[in-house]
Amino acid sequence: MIGYGLPHFPMTRASSVDDSSGVVARLIGVLGSERVHTHPLDLLVFGKDAGVTPGEAAVVVLPESTDEVAAVVRVATAAGVPVVARGAGTGLAGGAVPTSACVLVVLTRMNEIFEVDEVGRTAWVGAGLVNEALSNAVADHGLLFAPDPASQQTATIGGNVGTNAGGPHCLAEGSTIAHVLGMEVVTGDGEVMMVGGAAPDPLGYDLRGLFVGSEGTLGIVTRVLVRLVEVPPQLETMLISFVDVSDAARAVSEVIAEGVVPAALELMDGPMIEAVENFVHAGLPVGPGAVLLAEVSGHSVGVAADAALVREIAVLNGATEIRVARDEDDRALLWKGRKAAFGAIAQSAPDYYLNDTVVPRTRFVDVLDEIYAIAERYELRLLNLIHAGDGNFHPIVSYDAAEAGMTEKVIDATHEMVRAAVAAGGTLSGEHGIGIEKRDLMPEVFSADDLDAQERIRDAFDPLRLLNPGKVLPEGSRCLDRPPT
Amino acid sequence: MTWRTEHPPTTEDLNSCIDCGLCLSACPTYSITGDETASPRGRIAAMRAVDRGTVALDNRFAQIVDSCLQCLACETVCPSLVPFGTLMEGARAEVAAHRPTPTTAAKRFIFGRLIASRRALMFLSWLLVIAQRLGITGVLPGRASKAKAIRTIPIPVSATAGRQWDPQGEPIGTVGFLSGCVMDHWYSEVHVAVIDLLTRAGYRVVAPKQQTCCGAIAAHEGAAQHARRMAQRNVEAFAGFDTIIVDSAGCSAHMKDYAHWTEDGADLAGRIADANQVIAKLIADGKLPTITERRGQIAIQDPCHLRHAQGITLQPRDILRAAGYEVVETDPTGTCCGAAGAYQLSHPQVSERLGRRKAAQVAATDLDRVASANPGCEMQLLSYLGNSTTVEHPIEIYRNELNRNQEST
Ligand SMILES: Cc1cc2nc3c(=O)[nH]c(=O)nc-3n(C[C@H](O)[C@H](O)[C@H](O)COP(=O)(O)OP(=O)(O)OC[C@H]3O[C@@H](n4cnc5c(N)ncnc54)[C@H](O)[C@@H]3O)c2cc1C
Ligand code: SF4
Ligand code: SF4
Repeated sequence: MIGYGLPHFPMTRASSVDDSSGVVARLIGVLGSERVHTHPLDLLVFGKDAGVTPGEAAVVVLPESTDEVAAVVRVATAAGVPVVARGAGTGLAGGAVPTSACVLVVLTRMNEIFEVDEVGRTAWVGAGLVNEALSNAVADHGLLFAPDPASQQTATIGGNVGTNAGGPHCLAEGSTIAHVLGMEVVTGDGEVMMVGGAAPDPLGYDLRGLFVGSEGTLGIVTRVLVRLVEVPPQLETMLISFVDVSDAARAVSEVIAEGVVPAALELMDGPMIEAVENFVHAGLPVGPGAVLLAEVSGHSVGVAADAALVREIAVLNGATEIRVARDEDDRALLWKGRKAAFGAIAQSAPDYYLNDTVVPRTRFVDVLDEIYAIAERYELRLLNLIHAGDGNFHPIVSYDAAEAGMTEKVIDATHEMVRAAVAAGGTLSGEHGIGIEKRDLMPEVFSADDLDAQERIRDAFDPLRLLNPGKVLPEGSRCLDRPPT
Repeated sequence: MTWRTEHPPTTEDLNSCIDCGLCLSACPTYSITGDETASPRGRIAAMRAVDRGTVALDNRFAQIVDSCLQCLACETVCPSLVPFGTLMEGARAEVAAHRPTPTTAAKRFIFGRLIASRRALMFLSWLLVIAQRLGITGVLPGRASKAKAIRTIPIPVSATAGRQWDPQGEPIGTVGFLSGCVMDHWYSEVHVAVIDLLTRAGYRVVAPKQQTCCGAIAAHEGAAQHARRMAQRNVEAFAGFDTIIVDSAGCSAHMKDYAHWTEDGADLAGRIADANQVIAKLIADGKLPTITERRGQIAIQDPCHLRHAQGITLQPRDILRAAGYEVVETDPTGTCCGAAGAYQLSHPQVSERLGRRKAAQVAATDLDRVASANPGCEMQLLSYLGNSTTVEHPIEIYRNELNRNQEST
């Protein structure tokens, strides 16, 4: 694997950094001056992820080892300065965005693959390793890392752990949590700690579930012991067109009800298809309606039978066209379309707001109808992208923030959509995390007591509240902080 | 921000980036540093900050902009279709306008003036010829000092501008021909091959005298006014031609973008054809022969200005297959080789890192012949590969095989 080593680009330091606390000087002492950014422009560039909220760090550092991360955390917390972990910054909820003058710890340079156990199907990797780079590196052994967020070409394993990332193939394989066996973590006081390990069932409390998805609020993950899975021997990928989104949604529910768990079931509605086709030129059916990208995998007999069943159900629900990927290139093209979907929305308007709600499969069709009704009521342009198999909706409102009152309108509408999902027994976020952007919606799903319990867990690991403050839990979640009612 | 030039990065183009980050791993400078400020998204964020007036256009901005290779790998993968190349050219022009340093002034003179002067180029070419004959190319800057990196220029130093060639067979039409700047003297073998093939297929080829350098390097180096002037001059020079054949990837990519540089540029842009496109088409249409004997394997390297700027990947392969070769891929993502025009002089460390990576990919094929359709890449590959490797243009290879075939029959 490529360790970065150098080279570095020339970097001018801001002449007038306010470093009265001496933190910057000490960080330079730890890392050398080339991996410590303080220029205002650098702080801006690192101040955002793929979401919509900007922030600004006080200093950005790029450590290359666990020891360096630990040293950085010690320098920062000793001075009472918060620490925020950042992977590739593809998060969609502002998780890696600084909410206060913090030290932003960027892990991308920690991208080594330390060890691959082909027999035991595990690997120890640096938290900064790019998700897809791991799968590419173990492909020769017939293995892959199953979580495949659409951002996998850029997102880091550490970021995947931070957000418990899912992906199209997590329908059958489970999200990141199902693929992490152990982690090396730097805690808020700069100590290095092991969470989990190679043993299937660690002694004592299994803290993995707590750390995966904690969005950098419990510690900074520096190395990860991941589980690898076998590349499926046989795959069948189909693109199924429907005249109406509800038809497609019904077909999905029936497929699942039949007990088939396809490797992936991804739904895009008409406006979404149009944006995607502009980029991939895959011959997608542009127009009203919807497409379902279905993939079944496994051993050949099972695959053929499952694929046939999916097609039968699709036809019964009004499918108008079924295109089966001819070969690996064709399959790659269809997936490229799906994976580019989010990025392609910018073609229609300069701004967007993305939701990540989950609804129980039984209520899938109703909630979908309701979401469209809400968009119509607010006269907003809606594009829908759905991990249909597990009911994870990504309704995207695309708009122009320059229009007066537009942003408020969009926020009201999307909050209504979230409430509709929650009312149907669903939840806030399927995979993108809470970060800043969904934080204030937490009380929609958790009672005051639930939130208080979560704050106590946070306190146990980060009593000084210096790890990614202002994320996940809304202000005042501790009962003590709450005004008496 | 008060941008100062006529072609600054526009707010609209900047807003077309939604910060998704999908371009990061495709970017060579990000992939070797892991640093957001050396990534496409980071560079756009920096431009946006200046555009909004949040920060001043200072030295740090210039560094962030200058570290870009302008390879456009980010455009290829961007689902939002962000016109990154145009943004970057705008940013470069602004840096040059805001921070006139001796280097930017020198670059402006070299890439804006000198390169457009036929006489100056001829003079330099003769100097190079002499240096090559005396074996003192070591005095040249950067990788060009490597003995083998620049092709030995044949004597007399030839030039195509101002000449025309009659069809060798049944006439099928007339095409214009871009002579280019350094291409005309230093890579004249490629010109000779392209013109020969075009005339064999029945074209009359005209290289109007009035034409000038396409202006690509001027645009990339921030000499926007010169780039504009050159574009205007070429619009006039090529007014009478339905098709203009351009055989250097950097030039064809830039000319297809002329709409951005001069008001009536769109029309000429629409008539520009890269030589790889044209020759592949002539072969497919049976106007040029396909060689059936097998010639063995050849490695291929895609120039960024073909692959990322124009999406041309199939044609050079088709041409090599028609020459009898089995094409062996070297790099599935088409990452820049680090030559990137003047970049290898301004950022030698990064250029070297990328050059070595590319050379290692070629070496892994165990082949000693590489096809690459761009002089810059050729120079970079040669300087990092051993002396036993040869690098040639696919069209040149095809034409040599054609000649060899005809001699033997
Ligand atoms: C186009 C696009 C498509 C996407 N598709 C999907 C999808 O299909 N499924 C999905 O789940 N997500 C998706 N995402 C969201 C995002 O890619 C994931 O959340 C991803 O896991 C983030 O990884 P990252 O390296 O970019 O992390 P960042 O954005 O840098 O950080 C994300 C969070 O993790 C924390 N973090 C990062 N590294 C560490 C670490 N080493 N230790 C502790 N905490 C850390 C950060 O503090 C932050 O809270 C998509 C995003 C985009 C832009
Ligand atoms: S892929 Fe395109 S939209 Fe996404 S960050 Fe890069 S330039 Fe911006
Ligand atoms: S042009 Fe090349 S070097 Fe520049 S940002 Fe794009 S991918 Fe990176």
